[in-house]
Amino acid sequence: MNLNLDFASIIERWPTFFDGALLTLQLAFIATMLGTAIGVLGAIGRRSHHPIVSRICGIYVEAIRNTPLLVQIFLVYFGLASLGLKFSAFVVAAAALTINVGAYTTEIIRAGFDSIPRGQIEAAEGLALSRAQIYWHVVMWPAIEKVYPSLTSQFVLLMLASSVTSQISAEELTAVANYVQSDTYRAFETYILVALVYIVLSLIMRAGFWLLGLVIFPRRRRLGTPL
Amino acid sequence: MMKRPLSAAAVAMTCMVALGTTAAHADLLDDIMKAKKIRIATDMAIPPSGMMDANLKPTGSDVETAQLLAKDLGLELEFVQTTGATRIPNIQTNKADIIISTLSVTPERAKVIDFTKAYAALQSVVACLKTVEAKSWEDLKGKTIAVSRGTTQDTELSNMKDRNLTLARFDDDATMVTAAVSGQADCVATSATIANQIGVKNPSRTFEPKVLIRTFDLAIGVRKGEPRLVEKLNEWISTNLKNGKLNEIYKKFHGSELPQEMRS
Repeated sequence: MNLNLDFASIIERWPTFFDGALLTLQLAFIATMLGTAIGVLGAIGRRSHHPIVSRICGIYVEAIRNTPLLVQIFLVYFGLASLGLKFSAFVVAAAALTINVGAYTTEIIRAGFDSIPRGQIEAAEGLALSRAQIYWHVVMWPAIEKVYPSLTSQFVLLMLASSVTSQISAEELTAVANYVQSDTYRAFETYILVALVYIVLSLIMRAGFWLLGLVIFPRRRRLGTPL
Repeated sequence: MMKRPLSAAAVAMTCMVALGTTAAHADLLDDIMKAKKIRIATDMAIPPSGMMDANLKPTGSDVETAQLLAKDLGLELEFVQTTGATRIPNIQTNKADIIISTLSVTPERAKVIDFTKAYAALQSVVACLKTVEAKSWEDLKGKTIAVSRGTTQDTELSNMKDRNLTLARFDDDATMVTAAVSGQADCVATSATIANQIGVKNPSRTFEPKVLIRTFDLAIGVRKGEPRLVEKLNEWISTNLKNGKLNEIYKKFHGSELPQEMRS
């Protein structure tokens, strides 16, 4: 085997890789923020006593979780254009990723809600807390704290999955890699480098979520133990 | 260990090439005329130049060019199926007499085979919706141009940094064309042929070439050292460019005319 690696011609393109990595992080950030909001609302909706509301949320979750992300992206990108609505590839990529991760988040947070013991809620009622207070302090925050590890790994997966948006010409990290390797013919080196960058991005996200966990969950900060 | 089979293959290749050249005795034009048959290498998998129709008969602009040539010279025509990569080896090893298969003229190729004059051209263009007003590079500023990643068009436009073009890169021609058909892109950088086909697929979005990127001359490839054959073919090409027959064939399959300077 005669392997001849030349990283110099790849590394000199670092500004384009940097731009791509930045765009990947932006996509992940937007989709995580909006996806969490959708997830909380979706989970509340799915547990709703109104059959229509819970049915609609159920259909959304099942439709998204049972179709490939690439198909969803093409649906939004080409579908909107056929309806005469034209958005940039970045907006479409962010929207499609949000819709996708929103469904998974809904399901994870719903599992958290379901895990709150009935007795805990009854105890809160016994202490004369209002319904809103119960939902906020006794159900939602403990639920989110319980599923926090699942949520963070879902968001890291989302960041990695954003690579498929290169298909609709969003110039994120993988798109940059595809372009550089088609220009330099150094495919192996390019993808080795890009894999390393993705690992770094994942580590950055995990560190960020760990810090965020310390800030928003006082128990973790004070006792150092997960719920 | 890896070296042995490689060098063996190299020796075999050299022998084949050597055989090919020694077999080419006397004059290829005389041989063809005597046999009353011409063997033409054409790739049948690159529509609209070479392809199979619904009845699995060869058709396309290169196919009709070959048929016209054979008819004019009064010869029987035999197509030698080839791929892009095996076009040149086919004539070097005497499996075919000439190549008519979207063969663009490059200096590298000119070292190993001879070219006739150009019989057609491939145009690399920026095409936009018919309704878009664009005549020059200046007008394309601020418009998003769809392009297939890593193609010659991508490379050339990416290098035009001072023209401030906005490129949207797709992974293949199919996705790029879908972007144009669905309305995500109003301009595409591709061959004039593909640009013309977008309007065939979706008549409400007809694209027409606006700015020429580059023209690749397409010529007939002939084995080295056959000046009489090349001269005969050049004569035929000149005649049929002047009488418009080659232009007619090109227009029928590619949807646009040959460049003006070629036809005169």
